[in-house]
Amino acid sequence: MKITNGKDFWAGLMFIAFGLAFMFVAQNYAMGNAVRMGPAYFPTVLGGMLAVLGAAVLARAFVSKISNPVAVFPFRYWLVLGGLVLSVIAFYTQPPRDAGMALQIGHALLAGIAILMLFAAFGERSLWVVLFAVVVFGYMLKPLGLVLATGLLVFISAWGGHEFRWKEVTIMSAILAAFSVAAFVYGLGLPMNVWPSIWE
Amino acid sequence: MEALFHNLGIGFAVALTFQNLFYCLMGVMLGTLIGVLPGIGPVATIAMLLPVTFTLNPTSALIMLAGIYYGAQYGGSTTAILVNIPGESSSVVTCLDGYQMARQGRAGPALGIAAIGSFFAGCVATIIIALFAPPLAEVALKFGPAEYFSLMVLGLIAATVLAHGSLIKAIAMVILGLLLGLVGTDVNSGVARFSFGVSELSDGIGFVSVAMGVFGFAEIIANLEQKEHREIFTKKVSNLLPSLQDFKDSWASILRGTALGSFLGILPGGGALLASFAAYTLEKKISKNSANFGKGAIQGVAAPESANNAGAQTSFIPLLTLGIPSNPVMALMIGAMMIQGIAPGPQVMTERPQLFWGMIASMWIGNLMLVVLNLPMIGMWIKLLMVPYRMLYPSILVFCCIGVYSISNSPFDVMQTAAFGVVGYIFVKLECEPAPLILGFILGPLMEENLRRAMLLSRGDPLVFFQRPISLTMLLIAGFLLAVVLAPTVRKKREEAFVEA
Repeated sequence: MKITNGKDFWAGLMFIAFGLAFMFVAQNYAMGNAVRMGPAYFPTVLGGMLAVLGAAVLARAFVSKISNPVAVFPFRYWLVLGGLVLSVIAFYTQPPRDAGMALQIGHALLAGIAILMLFAAFGERSLWVVLFAVVVFGYMLKPLGLVLATGLLVFISAWGGHEFRWKEVTIMSAILAAFSVAAFVYGLGLPMNVWPSIWE
Repeated sequence: MEALFHNLGIGFAVALTFQNLFYCLMGVMLGTLIGVLPGIGPVATIAMLLPVTFTLNPTSALIMLAGIYYGAQYGGSTTAILVNIPGESSSVVTCLDGYQMARQGRAGPALGIAAIGSFFAGCVATIIIALFAPPLAEVALKFGPAEYFSLMVLGLIAATVLAHGSLIKAIAMVILGLLLGLVGTDVNSGVARFSFGVSELSDGIGFVSVAMGVFGFAEIIANLEQKEHREIFTKKVSNLLPSLQDFKDSWASILRGTALGSFLGILPGGGALLASFAAYTLEKKISKNSANFGKGAIQGVAAPESANNAGAQTSFIPLLTLGIPSNPVMALMIGAMMIQGIAPGPQVMTERPQLFWGMIASMWIGNLMLVVLNLPMIGMWIKLLMVPYRMLYPSILVFCCIGVYSISNSPFDVMQTAAFGVVGYIFVKLECEPAPLILGFILGPLMEENLRRAMLLSRGDPLVFFQRPISLTMLLIAGFLLAVVLAPTVRKKREEAFVEA
């Protein structure tokens, strides 16, 4: 038995995992019967169907005439391990809601690094650089304001491309920040602060 | 007939207000823009703008979003002809002959005939919607839960049949989409399903997050992995008007493309993409000198460009009359309607005639605007094509992020979108087409609801789906479609067709 189509192999595993996960979690809810379906009924049926289809895709990976390498993604297992360890730590050290600012930020950083490591464990550089930029923007918009957050987003994401030109990126972030402020804050009236919240 | 004119009168009265004209223009401009730019499609754009439409009134919002979709069909042809890269997936076949025409110094006529064909198709499709939507909506009003369930099954099966690549993966993606759609509070029991105690998830996974993550972010990331190379053949386009001979050669193709496109747009799973492929194949088959195809035959530009525009517009028919999306863009339109508190379905036409007819009338106006935008202003779009991708994608990201953030003014939606970006990237890598997933996602809760109702009414007898004639017909068609695609000969042909694409 040899895997000929690596893409089918992973896709099959993915569908099986999703199907079983949905079935498994659905068991926490009431099943009901065919006349009065409970919240678990439809997901359980669908999850089962998904798992069966996944198994078929998986089986096809061994007989497929299309050949794809099994290593579809670059995989850095030490990052997965590190990320998992950190996320477990982050999960169990969740500070209470009334904890101090420093503790909150520290915990958010820890969780962020854990997630980033999991991202970076597979995929090309562009994947995790772009998504890192997006996540940074999401968390920094309120504290830093739209202008600085946009600048961060442009700088980090541009770093994920093929070439990085300082001058170009600087000009681009200035233009984009100005445009976003004009269009979204003044034009559409979205409730976002333009400058860091401490200043206002 | 009189009712039709009366209705169109209402429509034009709505569409011609200053505000709606403005949003129509915004929509078609944006549509042309993203159509011209490769690497961003109407799905990501509409997803990006959904949160913004909160602030608009429903009619203006839908007019603008619709404009983006059919506007993109116009813009896509420009890139296809001048750069040999489809600006839009539905312009893939336009590359074949359009680019060859440009190389022969006939970029002008190619662009001209594409725009004229699109305009003609747009006008015809508008009339078709106005004629066929009302009777269809009347039929749909008689649908019970069993019919709706079967209709959704048919729609989803049709969408998978038309998806690229493996059929079984496409069906798996539909089911995964249905399951993801079920996340959140169950209407019947009030149980928050699959939310893992996260309060944001009890309202369900954000539709915008899924669409933007899977279509927007994943596309950007996948694009970044490839080295960009873009060669613009024609920097200056002169003489846009096709010659008399060009018109003689292509008027029949425009007619055929429009007819085929309008028909394929109505079908569940149809839309612009399918229409353009089918129209090109048809032209090649019936042409007397099919050897010219691929070498700059004007028919090979006229037919698919007319068809994709017709298909883009008639795919609004199932949306407006049945409340069933036939492609991911229509799924987003449903999302937009729900954001505005409108339940999509046959009742939209009777309860909100202003919205329904206003949107239809705006399509005709939008097409007129597009001709103006695309022909005299072609130079501007060509300049835009020179903008390198390394400057484009950060801009796209900025607008995406602001759009997502503004849904609930919290980082949660941004995180969620990033997560779906990862998922979407995995889909790209594993060759799992995401379009069926989006359709499943939007239909998941609806399907469960109708299944539950149908089973309750039939006292748990699943045969109800086969006893009601309309429901049975739809299931039979779905089964037939599956059987046809699984038949070995068709399967081979289908694979070839998509490989050629």
